[in-house]
Amino acid sequence: MVAGRAQFGPGCRRAWPVRVAGAGLLLAALVWTAPPLVAQEPSVPRSFDGRPDLNGVWQAIGTAHWNLEDHPAAPGHPDLGAIGAVPPGQGVVVGGEIPYVKAALEQRAANFENRMAADPEAKCFLPGVPRATYLPYPFQIIQGDSKIMIVYGFAEANRTIHMDKENPEPPPLDSWMGRSHGRWEGDTLVVDAIGFNGEAWLDRAGNFASSNLRVQERYTPLGRNAIEYEATLTDATVFTRPWTIRMPLYRRLEPNARVLEFKCVEFAEDLMYGHLRRRPTR
Amino acid sequence: MTGRSGDVSRMIAASALALLASLALPLLARGAALHHVQISTPSPTEAVRWYERHLDCQPVESRPDAAACGGLELAFAAQTTLGSTQGTGVNHIAFSYERLAEKMSELEAVGVRGSGVRLQRFEDGSTHRLLPGLYRHGFVFDPWGTRIELVEDPDRLGFHHVHLSAARPDATLDWYRRILGGEQGTLPSARQGLRFGERWLLMSPHTGTTLAPTRSRAIAHLAFEVPDLDGLVRQLGAAGVDLQAGPSVPANARTGARRAVVLGPDSVTVALVEPGFAGTEQPVVAGGAASETPDEYKAPRTPWGEPDLQGVWTGNAAHGIPLERPQELVDVEALTPEQAEARRERGTLGSIWGYEREWRDTTLGYDKMTPSTQVAMIFDPPDGRLPPLTPTGERLAREAQVRRRRLASQPPAGPEDLSPYVRCITRGLPGMMMPGIYNNGLQIVQGPGFVALQKEMIHETRVVPTQPRERVGPKLRTWLGDPLGRWEGDSLVVETQRFNGESSFRGSSGRMKLTERFTRVGPAKLLYEFTVDDPEVWVRQWSARFAFDLDNEQYELVEYACHEGNYGMFNILSGARTRDREAEEAGK
Repeated sequence: MVAGRAQFGPGCRRAWPVRVAGAGLLLAALVWTAPPLVAQEPSVPRSFDGRPDLNGVWQAIGTAHWNLEDHPAAPGHPDLGAIGAVPPGQGVVVGGEIPYVKAALEQRAANFENRMAADPEAKCFLPGVPRATYLPYPFQIIQGDSKIMIVYGFAEANRTIHMDKENPEPPPLDSWMGRSHGRWEGDTLVVDAIGFNGEAWLDRAGNFASSNLRVQERYTPLGRNAIEYEATLTDATVFTRPWTIRMPLYRRLEPNARVLEFKCVEFAEDLMYGHLRRRPTR
Repeated sequence: MTGRSGDVSRMIAASALALLASLALPLLARGAALHHVQISTPSPTEAVRWYERHLDCQPVESRPDAAACGGLELAFAAQTTLGSTQGTGVNHIAFSYERLAEKMSELEAVGVRGSGVRLQRFEDGSTHRLLPGLYRHGFVFDPWGTRIELVEDPDRLGFHHVHLSAARPDATLDWYRRILGGEQGTLPSARQGLRFGERWLLMSPHTGTTLAPTRSRAIAHLAFEVPDLDGLVRQLGAAGVDLQAGPSVPANARTGARRAVVLGPDSVTVALVEPGFAGTEQPVVAGGAASETPDEYKAPRTPWGEPDLQGVWTGNAAHGIPLERPQELVDVEALTPEQAEARRERGTLGSIWGYEREWRDTTLGYDKMTPSTQVAMIFDPPDGRLPPLTPTGERLAREAQVRRRRLASQPPAGPEDLSPYVRCITRGLPGMMMPGIYNNGLQIVQGPGFVALQKEMIHETRVVPTQPRERVGPKLRTWLGDPLGRWEGDSLVVETQRFNGESSFRGSSGRMKLTERFTRVGPAKLLYEFTVDDPEVWVRQWSARFAFDLDNEQYELVEYACHEGNYGMFNILSGARTRDREAEEAGK
């Protein structure tokens, strides 16, 4: 993938990723509250108003979409051979593990057991936040003055980040993608997303949150072609404390890069309705 | 103040207040009669027909806006309704039939489509049941949101009663009794009410939310005929009742009888009329909104210098404009506002009943857009009709028709037998830009070099580049094609090709070239023009247009998670499998 050649400066390496395997909660909390280590990046492109210009097509590279936590390689559906296997990956959870309350851990295990049929991604359902960010599909940021729109490749999900509105709580309706309000803190775009319906998962391993989820995302440019992405998830129903994921997002550098249409409904119809066909496929 | 003397003086004060309160509203009227119930509808003539056809009302001589319904006049006013009678102080009106079961099955057979009848079923699915100690009853709605109770009360056939919802039924009952007279009484099951001749005014307690004013709802007001209007109004004024209009002869009144309007309890508008009152001629509003031309307006610029089209727009005003010019409107330049209102209403009625009116606009408190008076969308060819088909186009149309007939005559074998829209995949292009009965939002967000067009309906978003770039390869065909945009003056011009051809618009093929032009022609109006060039299907290209209206202040796009909630697909397919089984059984 061309994006592998992204300019990822020395300062960035320092910032990313901070592995704290085996560290206790205290260290995790310290890392979690630490400000972005890359505060000033000289080559950050600027918008008309002097803010970082995040316009472009971006994509996360990694295995967070399989599992946010550390995971060894694992078999997939036997019919698919190695193509379906789960690649190994280092977790993106700051501090290593998601701090579930006990009952939620059981729910995650049940989700994992039933993932082939129950994962909303398999059904082509809207992916929610933050999952939309690190699904293995590009997304495009359209950054204007009063709104920022993010159009995701998967399931044609999109969200509008209101830069110009008060943050009324609660939003009028719960939804898959929630409602997002943004502001700038220096060069970091900070987005508060609330109003989720609690149906979305966080990855293919069954990690999840409830409708009480609140997500604070931080988009900090690391030069021209990468963004440090952080999302802090707060949900007292499911987690014992707020926790954070962190990963880089890379600019798609192909000259003709674009988010291609992936209307996946038709690919999920057998999974969902195969048993209701005249000639059942399931 | 201490001790007994204080208590006593408080008691005296309280009694005096109570006395004053009852004096404030003395018995004012005698012999008032229920004169009419006013119902809001975009099309009074259609409403008269509906009540004639379904509830045995009679048209009134030289009154195209009224129906005589078994002893009571229903007067239809050409005005937009914001919703049903439920939730207001006039919950419903009731008609009595000798054989209710028969009547209900007759109405059930009408169906809800078109100007149909919507039945309100009870929890067990039945359309009528016995109200213990009283009579059998059931509920239906007229197409404009009036809730109608049908009762089986052989002693009082025809128009039966007006049913109020009241926060404080006793006080409401008292208000009507003191102002209008009426005989206090109870129907057999101790249902409290007032009797005006043979017609009853019943009331039920309402708890919870505040009752909405009737004036913008399906039943706009109740009218009573009173013998001495001036005397009554004088006394009402002295008693502090809120007089909203009159007494005067309303504009365009058919007779010299005067009318006064007061606001009753629970925000119910009550009209008081003199004998002989016969409504008003429906005013014909001249002209529509002045059409704005691109030359007169210069679109604002984004901070980076491109025309600024950003905002939340809706196609609500354009909903109902047909693509092709109807044959009967060959020489018509524009509809009258009343015709436009009626057309939109027909469009709504032809689809899911009252969705927009009941579920969205009313719930969120939106003001409705005045409907467009545009006759048709196609402006080229100038006759407003699609150009003739090519031989290939004719063949494709025949094949599509054969397929449609086959699918209509047998249950769907799988999702592929249903349209991409029903499957929540796409409405295609230009289909996804078309206004519909609900969720018409279009949000435009711009960044330097890109315009995002987000349609609320099934959340379809297009990202249009405005800088030159290479088209995707010819094998990369998609539902919505590959858009290339550019600015031409104030207009965003988008050329789209590489369609997969599986979501046809009026027969278009995958080789269609679609050229769209978005032009802000006023601060709050976005003209949308599109040209379909599909030489395989039509002998010439054709162009159409309509406008989106800016609705930034009140409208917010909701997440139309269509596929996620597509229970209809499960139901359609499981129903189809049941049909299959039944057919198999029958064939045995």
